[in-house]
Amino acid sequence: MAEINCEGRSTREINSEIRRVIAAGDADIVLKNPLARHNLGVAILDPVRIRIEGSVGYYCAGLIDGPRFEIMESAGWGLAESMMGGEVVVHGSAGNGAAAAIRGGTVVIHGDAAARLGVSMKGGTVLVAGSCGYMAGFMGQKGTMIVCGDAGDAFADSMYETVCFVGGNVAGLGTDAVVESPGKDDIAFLDSTLAQYLPGSQKRGNDFKKIVAGRKLWNFDKREWKVWQEAL
Amino acid sequence: MLVVYCEYPKTMCGIVGFLAKRSDQQAAVGCTILGMLKALGCRGPDSAGVALFGSPDDGRYIVRVKLGDSGEFDNKVRLLAGAVDATGVQDFSTTASYVRFTVAGATDLQRLTRSIESLDRDFEVVSIGHKLEIVKQTGSPENLENTYHVSRLKGTHGVGHTRLSTESRVDLSHSQPFWSHGYPDLAIVHNGHITNYHQLRRRYEQRAVHFYTENDSEVVAIYLAEQLKTGAGLEEALQRMLRDLDGSYSCLVATERQLGFVKDTFALKPLVMTETDDFVAVATEEIAIRSAIPGTYSVREAQVREVRVWQR
Repeated sequence: MAEINCEGRSTREINSEIRRVIAAGDADIVLKNPLARHNLGVAILDPVRIRIEGSVGYYCAGLIDGPRFEIMESAGWGLAESMMGGEVVVHGSAGNGAAAAIRGGTVVIHGDAAARLGVSMKGGTVLVAGSCGYMAGFMGQKGTMIVCGDAGDAFADSMYETVCFVGGNVAGLGTDAVVESPGKDDIAFLDSTLAQYLPGSQKRGNDFKKIVAGRKLWNFDKREWKVWQEAL
Repeated sequence: MLVVYCEYPKTMCGIVGFLAKRSDQQAAVGCTILGMLKALGCRGPDSAGVALFGSPDDGRYIVRVKLGDSGEFDNKVRLLAGAVDATGVQDFSTTASYVRFTVAGATDLQRLTRSIESLDRDFEVVSIGHKLEIVKQTGSPENLENTYHVSRLKGTHGVGHTRLSTESRVDLSHSQPFWSHGYPDLAIVHNGHITNYHQLRRRYEQRAVHFYTENDSEVVAIYLAEQLKTGAGLEEALQRMLRDLDGSYSCLVATERQLGFVKDTFALKPLVMTETDDFVAVATEEIAIRSAIPGTYSVREAQVREVRVWQR
């Protein structure tokens, strides 16, 4: 296991050291004293495990494909942004725009997520043990979002094919978001995902409501101008 | 010694707030807030400032007057000293661009302010309060410390600001925190844009409210002072602000006994917070809190439209 002490080093030096350690063949890396700094562990494309012992700032684990990040405290804006694959687990809370535009992989947030969770996600899974803030799921194109607690206002606004599950209350649905009852497959998926990532959770698959796009905004029809008037 | 790396591009103003829950008036609030500001210095290198609350309340008002932005102030100090000599002034002192003195609690603050500011076009009463003291200047938090030794100031709570100017001048008056002129012990710091600033300013100016700057943050202080004057509590005033002030903003507000924040209706500006049994800390970025306050605690981002107020 390689240990990298962030103290006294610039972010560029830390990220270069991570790459050097990976190139040398070490697959387990621990970052100490991260001090909530921005841009740590960006664009790592190898199946390594990186544990960050503390909080991280903006854009941690962005653009990654393959590694598993474990952040022991909280994360700032843009966590795992545009991730292609891998896992990012945050033991604290996450700031705005967590898991935005991810294309694959899994993001797990043990605390709460702030505004714009998983906006424009194009694949992958986002799992929040706590609650999420304003406008989560906006324009989600694919993938799955699971929020065990409450969801904020404008939830799942203007989505394409992202599927959302909420275990608590939704403060307000976004435009074209509709609530469905989860099917058998949905409940089985939720149970297995919770068992894998949040084994201590009291939630069960049938506790969740399912929220998907109503598909009324997918195609423009001038005869439905009232729908668009409300949406815009 | 903790080294903070400002290696990121200039982004936008940084704001910080700290409230010691248990400590008496000798808590090292100046040191904590300065440490938080240093970590955010790269967000806004144009100016830095703090508003600290903590001087023992002996019923007198502390007055801080800006003499000018630069140059030799000896003549201005003599002018000011002579003018206020007959008003029962005590503790008159000068440091760099500021004169500081105290006046009796029964003083008419509006009249005092007018009389001071009519002496010289550069004079501005930067703060008045039983406990409030605002110190700000252009340049970095390190410059602020070198000039005013902010880290030595003790107190109970306070707010701080590092500024990246986007729309108005870079000078001491346009720096933050802002005091709402005429309303004692109220200071605000703001990161963002008040998009209906010009509309609000016009309305206030029609009612003869004087604006000292072209900084949209100034209207926040004026607005909140007006709300508090009408009898609203700070939390209610901040809720009303969400209704009346448009734009993207995170604001911190401190009064004699309170620290509060408000986050805009779209959550477009960052603000994180932590609260323990001992303290409350709020900042634009978590790095500010982690850099200045050791220990184990959790930090979270404030949610959209969130308003919080802590009382001492």
